[in-house]
Amino acid sequence: MTTTVTIHIDGVPYAVPDGMNLVDAARIYAGVEIPIFCYHPKMKPVGMCRMCLVDLGFEVRDRATGELALNPDGTPQVRWGRKLETGCTTTVRAGMYVRTRTEQVQEARRDVLEFLLSSHPLDCPVCDKGGECPLQNLTMRHGPGTSRMAYDDKLHLDKHVPLGDLIYLDRERCIQCARCVRFQDEVVGDDVLAFHERGRRLQIITTSTPGFDTYFSGNTTDICPVGALTTADFRFGARPWELTNVPSISPHGPVGENIALSMRLDRDSGGVQVIKRVIPRQNEDVNEIWISDKTRFGHHFTLSPDRLREALARKRGELTPVALDDALKAAAKALKEAGNSVGFIGGPMTSNEDFFALRELAAHVGSRKLGLWPATLGDAAPAAEVGIASGSRLTELGKGDAVLVVASDLEEEAPIWFLQAKQAADRGAALIVANLRETKLDRYASRTVRYGLGGAVGFLDGAASDETLAQAANLVVFVGNEGLGADEHGVLLRAAANLLITTGHAGRRNNGLIPVWPGANTQGGFDLGFESAATRAMLQSAPDVLIVVGADVAETPAGAAALDAAKFVIALSLFPDATTAKADVVLPIQSFAERDGTFTNAMRRVQRFYTAQGPVGESLPAWQVIGLLGQRLGMDRPRRSAALVMKALAESVKLYAGMSYPALAEAAVQTPPIGISPGFYGGTAAAPTGGTGLQWPSKAESRAKLSVTPVEAPQAVHAGAGELVIVPLRRLYDRAPEFFASAVMHGRIPQPFVALHPSDAARLGAVDGGRVKLSAGGASLDVTAVVDATAPEGLALLPQRLAPGAFPQEPVAGRVEPVAEAVAAD
Amino acid sequence: MAEHILLRDLDVPDIKAFDVYVQHGGYEALRKAVGMTPAAVIDVVKASNLRGRGGAGFPTGVKWSFIPQSEPVKYVVVNADESEPGTFKDRQILEGNPHQLIEGAMIAAYAIQATAVYIYLRGEFWDIAANLDACIEDARKEGLIGPDVLGSGWSCEMYTHLGAGAYICGEESALLNSLQGLLGQPRVRPPFPAQKGGGLYYEATVVNNVETLTNVPWIITHGAEEYKKIGTPESPGPKIYCLSGHVAKPGNYELPLGITFRELIFEHAGGIPDGKQLKAILPSGASGPVLPATDAVLDTPLTYEAVAQIGSTLGSASIILMDETVNVAWAASKMMKFFAHESCGKCTPCREGTYWLRRRYEALLDGRAQARDIAILDDVASQMTGVTLCALGEFAVNPVRATIKHFRADYEAWIKQEAAEDKKAAKPAPAREKAAAR
Repeated sequence: MTTTVTIHIDGVPYAVPDGMNLVDAARIYAGVEIPIFCYHPKMKPVGMCRMCLVDLGFEVRDRATGELALNPDGTPQVRWGRKLETGCTTTVRAGMYVRTRTEQVQEARRDVLEFLLSSHPLDCPVCDKGGECPLQNLTMRHGPGTSRMAYDDKLHLDKHVPLGDLIYLDRERCIQCARCVRFQDEVVGDDVLAFHERGRRLQIITTSTPGFDTYFSGNTTDICPVGALTTADFRFGARPWELTNVPSISPHGPVGENIALSMRLDRDSGGVQVIKRVIPRQNEDVNEIWISDKTRFGHHFTLSPDRLREALARKRGELTPVALDDALKAAAKALKEAGNSVGFIGGPMTSNEDFFALRELAAHVGSRKLGLWPATLGDAAPAAEVGIASGSRLTELGKGDAVLVVASDLEEEAPIWFLQAKQAADRGAALIVANLRETKLDRYASRTVRYGLGGAVGFLDGAASDETLAQAANLVVFVGNEGLGADEHGVLLRAAANLLITTGHAGRRNNGLIPVWPGANTQGGFDLGFESAATRAMLQSAPDVLIVVGADVAETPAGAAALDAAKFVIALSLFPDATTAKADVVLPIQSFAERDGTFTNAMRRVQRFYTAQGPVGESLPAWQVIGLLGQRLGMDRPRRSAALVMKALAESVKLYAGMSYPALAEAAVQTPPIGISPGFYGGTAAAPTGGTGLQWPSKAESRAKLSVTPVEAPQAVHAGAGELVIVPLRRLYDRAPEFFASAVMHGRIPQPFVALHPSDAARLGAVDGGRVKLSAGGASLDVTAVVDATAPEGLALLPQRLAPGAFPQEPVAGRVEPVAEAVAAD
Repeated sequence: MAEHILLRDLDVPDIKAFDVYVQHGGYEALRKAVGMTPAAVIDVVKASNLRGRGGAGFPTGVKWSFIPQSEPVKYVVVNADESEPGTFKDRQILEGNPHQLIEGAMIAAYAIQATAVYIYLRGEFWDIAANLDACIEDARKEGLIGPDVLGSGWSCEMYTHLGAGAYICGEESALLNSLQGLLGQPRVRPPFPAQKGGGLYYEATVVNNVETLTNVPWIITHGAEEYKKIGTPESPGPKIYCLSGHVAKPGNYELPLGITFRELIFEHAGGIPDGKQLKAILPSGASGPVLPATDAVLDTPLTYEAVAQIGSTLGSASIILMDETVNVAWAASKMMKFFAHESCGKCTPCREGTYWLRRRYEALLDGRAQARDIAILDDVASQMTGVTLCALGEFAVNPVRATIKHFRADYEAWIKQEAAEDKKAAKPAPAREKAAAR
């Protein structure tokens, strides 16, 4: 445990944790800002910029007696250093004295700023960073008012250097702090940036092809202390002081990255309020200050011209625009006729309020068919029992702890957890990665486990006897569903719970299960009683009326068949898709950016997002559409606001008791305080304004008696003669309309492909880059074959949502056949 | 001086050959050392007060004693990146007497129980490296390098590595980075190379200069007391002085520490050619402050302490002489061009400061500078002082500040020309200092 020591800063004593970085200690415990450029609390100090120079001294003790030497006036004698020292490379210890305001220190700061500005273009009036720039701020506070640099002596460098298609470098603005290089190297592990040359010619380059090849590139533009790095998406798009930061939650993936949407009235968008950029919002319990490029750049769907703008109803077999009232009337009519034969399916971006409205409507019509999309998931009961304990922080895992990742490609499914698992391993935690194929996290693993199809449960069931896991001080288990059938996924989650219970880790802080769900609010759906299993039942025998909310059910053959089998389909959707094409009534809904709501992340943290921009067309929040529908069936009129829906939800759902909007809007204190304005540590992470969310406790935390339920792996899919098992994979960048609308990302989204082991490819006659046809369960896809030695033999790895067309989302036996290419005659 | 201790190639033809070296007592010191305890070897070197010849003059034995014996992996790194302008002493050792360096390095390695020795050579020494590899192979065949050295049970490998042409890689922590395949930029200290976490591959490491280690076999053979009879008590031993510039007989001179500039220049090196007057002395290449060639300076003994006392450094004793024909401001501009080219760019003051100074010198030499530019040069240099990450930045200001201090008139000469051309020479330039008094 850290002990507390007393140090003196500018003559005032402060109690600070021993060994803490001096810059952080001064900032957090003394409120003293030692200015910095290169130092960043999330990375190792390098002492490059020399901005943090301070006068450092130590109290003098008598060598023989160890007693403090005193001045005649009774104050302790202090031996000051010969030279100034960099605060960022200094760790505090007892008896330390620091002076931050002496003439010498102020002069050093002035000098460093004069140096930095001597080769800086000072193009602040056209710079994206202008207004939130550490170099500007510190120059105002500490810098010289003028420069002695002759204008002719200025060095001029390239101002438009693409480091890839997403990030541009302005070489004149760069102050060589290496934050971006170090971020990619230390935090991400994709060391795709480097310094080139030396001296004043020192410059940032990218070493990867394609350039700046990583899922985290945008974060470098946040931590850049000048405007040297800008995103292709935002550069020259707006001035920071014109922007209003609206707190929000990423709608992509299970992490629930806290973000802020920087809004501005925009001429090019008809003068309405639009998202100009997405920046991280600090939440040390969730995403710290990092977001993936998907979250940063994947917001364009909110204003996509493809969005549904008006209600549609089927007239003479054709979906035709109708007034919302007419659409609701038609839907209500069908519902009245169906009685209780009504099914509900909610998709990955469906908010808690929406799920609650669906649940109320279901209760009203007497249906219990509450389904969750996708239909491939096990149940959430194990996570409710032994889910990662409240208040846990992945950033605290380190030496002596263990992180186990099973059946998940974390980088593709939950990039932020990839970072955090990697960094836990960097800090000394044992990282065990088990999957049926190689994933990128293997690089950082202390051990990798490779099992065959159907082998995940067997591995996890036996893991309790593993000494590393059993003896770990803390144990976090990530469980995904890669290569698993839905039943197998359920059993695997149970096996993970068994492991945590057996090894005694359940219910303790920094311990527990994290299910790597596919959606931003899959957990919320489970919490409100929606089940993936219920969806599977509805696909087996379709109810008379199906109400589908934000779920492209037709993306699987079984889903498409169920839509056909149902007498009447009501689809609430952002986009026209294969599901709305089969619907009888289509109702446009609002995206996360246009409404208030809450998502529950896979660590059971309920988090608020706020209305940022105006509605698209006639779209309404899904809860309101559902409420209007209910009203026509005799329910009360819909509640007047999302806040009131949440209030009712919190009153009726025990897990969410007390989670009112005001409670969720409370922000926990963040240490170190990076997201404050003007950001002391530089960069543009937003403050935790808008709330850091509330976690509901797992059963294990209440000291409930937990018991181990023996598990048995279900029969694995077996490929027949001439068949392979086609295993769907989740990939971060796909062609779902919620992401593909971001044109800036198109260069990074792969063409539809399937990965085959070389021996399978050879046997099937498939060549690398050649076309193949996949067929299974009555569906087929046309994709490019990629021959990949890391693909397990006998499996065809198929990233989902790349190729158009329905295809099973669980492992399935099927055929892979080369497509004869037209050969030009000689 | 009768016999050379370091430049033995001047006494013994072909001593670079393994057999010749062995015939002349080669590797006896290593044999003797491995018969002693490592601590005893360190004690002898400590007692000899051998000081680092790379420039800093840090006591070598003390440096070795910093290595924690408990660490299982330790390294010796030989700094053969000789790149200080005017320094060419290590080159002669490496070319003429390589086995003595190898022997010294192995003794150092034994003293700290290192597992490997790396010799980091500047990139231009590719032919030397090839020859050194052959020498290492010869020694390895005789069991002097490799597993179980001389039956002592201690094993140690030796490798050579070529740099890629950066002055900064002579700085020990940048050298270690470069050796590891990283960008050649200095590291933040602590941890120091001798500590776990600070050395090569983050293991405890001793970094010594070529000349330093070449002293070691003689010390082991003859003992610390004999060694201390050479030179002065604070700065004992022989030193190779590299003389260049306006001197009749430029070259390497192996002489004891403590002789005076005058003795070295006028008695040994034949004085200044063409009957010219000596104007300025750079005692340690571009890195050390320039000295005016006054009597007081010329009578100063060449020891670490004495040269420091007159405001300069002995450094690696690469002594560059300038006669009365030289404008010292012009010489300073050349040195600043060098530092601006060689700054690694890691820390702000050095990266920006050297560039700025270089540009101002260009302006000065182009006749674009004004009188206030002398103050700017001095100010910019002074604001780099004491705040840089490594010593390169500290040294880079010396050409500016010392030359302005001692040879201001040389600067004003450039500015006066410009002022005359502008026909605005309202006030007369201050009277020229009698700088080159001698």
